[in-house]
Amino acid sequence: MWLGVWLAVLGLAFGIALGLNLPVTIPQAYAKYMSVAALAAMDSVFGGIRAALEDHYDNRVFITGFFSNALLAAGLAFIGERLGIDLYLAAVVAFGVRLFQNLAIIRRHLLKK
Amino acid sequence: MNKKSMYLSIGLITMILGIMLAIQFRTNRYIEQGVPADRAQELQVELSKLERDSRKLDREIEDLSYKLEQAKKGQLQAEAAVQDELKKARINAGLITVSGPGIEVVMDNPSNQSRRSSIFIIRDEDLLRVVNELRGAGAEAISINGRRLISTSEIRQAGSFININLERVEPPFQVLAIGSPDKLKSALEISGGLVDYFKDLGIEVKIQSHSSLTVPAYHKNLQFNYAKAVRKG
Repeated sequence: MWLGVWLAVLGLAFGIALGLNLPVTIPQAYAKYMSVAALAAMDSVFGGIRAALEDHYDNRVFITGFFSNALLAAGLAFIGERLGIDLYLAAVVAFGVRLFQNLAIIRRHLLKK
Repeated sequence: MNKKSMYLSIGLITMILGIMLAIQFRTNRYIEQGVPADRAQELQVELSKLERDSRKLDREIEDLSYKLEQAKKGQLQAEAAVQDELKKARINAGLITVSGPGIEVVMDNPSNQSRRSSIFIIRDEDLLRVVNELRGAGAEAISINGRRLISTSEIRQAGSFININLERVEPPFQVLAIGSPDKLKSALEISGGLVDYFKDLGIEVKIQSHSSLTVPAYHKNLQFNYAKAVRKG
């Protein structure tokens, strides 16, 4: 269990280091989509941690959830922009709320132990 | 196997998340430093508009400078024409020295002492008649003893002297006339003409043709105080 947490932290640190050093910047027009996608991805990871703590972690669910959430959030932002509605706010609110819920559940699980 | 793939996917997913977050951080910082996308687009539009304006103005500059050049050319021509006209007018007025073919008439009082009475000496009338004859024969410029005769010149007896252009002249009188030498000469030497008349009086007259002689300019200030030009039309 704790190996997973450490692996997650290690991966995150490695990813941030890599991202900061990669000479890649996305165009400004797509920065909005990327930000929503990143939020969705964060939610997925917290959801995965929560699932692991509740012992019904499924690798496939985790991976597909991660990518589909990210793509859906970015897609929502994209469509919202085309429609003239700030649809990405829906993604922000939904994933934000879930993020806090997941965090609270994780906290409880950790405190229970 | 299950555990292993789980750890692997956790590491991979978190790494992707980290990369996404890091890129997002950097992009956001870049946006804060730089200009927003719509602003950039606005500026792009403005730039292209200004470039178009600039091209238009360039064309206008070209056009105007061409016109200016034309105008300058015209002015230059006009100036040349005016200068030409002025020169002509000055020649006509006798304000500049001119040269050309003509004759030289030298008249002197009789050398014979006995005939030196007041009847036989050269008077203003004699000079006037010579000048009149020369002008009648087409003389274009006349001077007597270096005094250029112009439209306002007088030849006038003042006591025992003759004044020309308000200046005293004394014999011998040297009359220079520019014109056709043959015509001028024959006008004076025609039988029964002036030369015969002078010879009768005992006045010595010598006439010489020159292929080129110089008549000096009127050297005083020419001023019209009363006469004013009347505009034609």
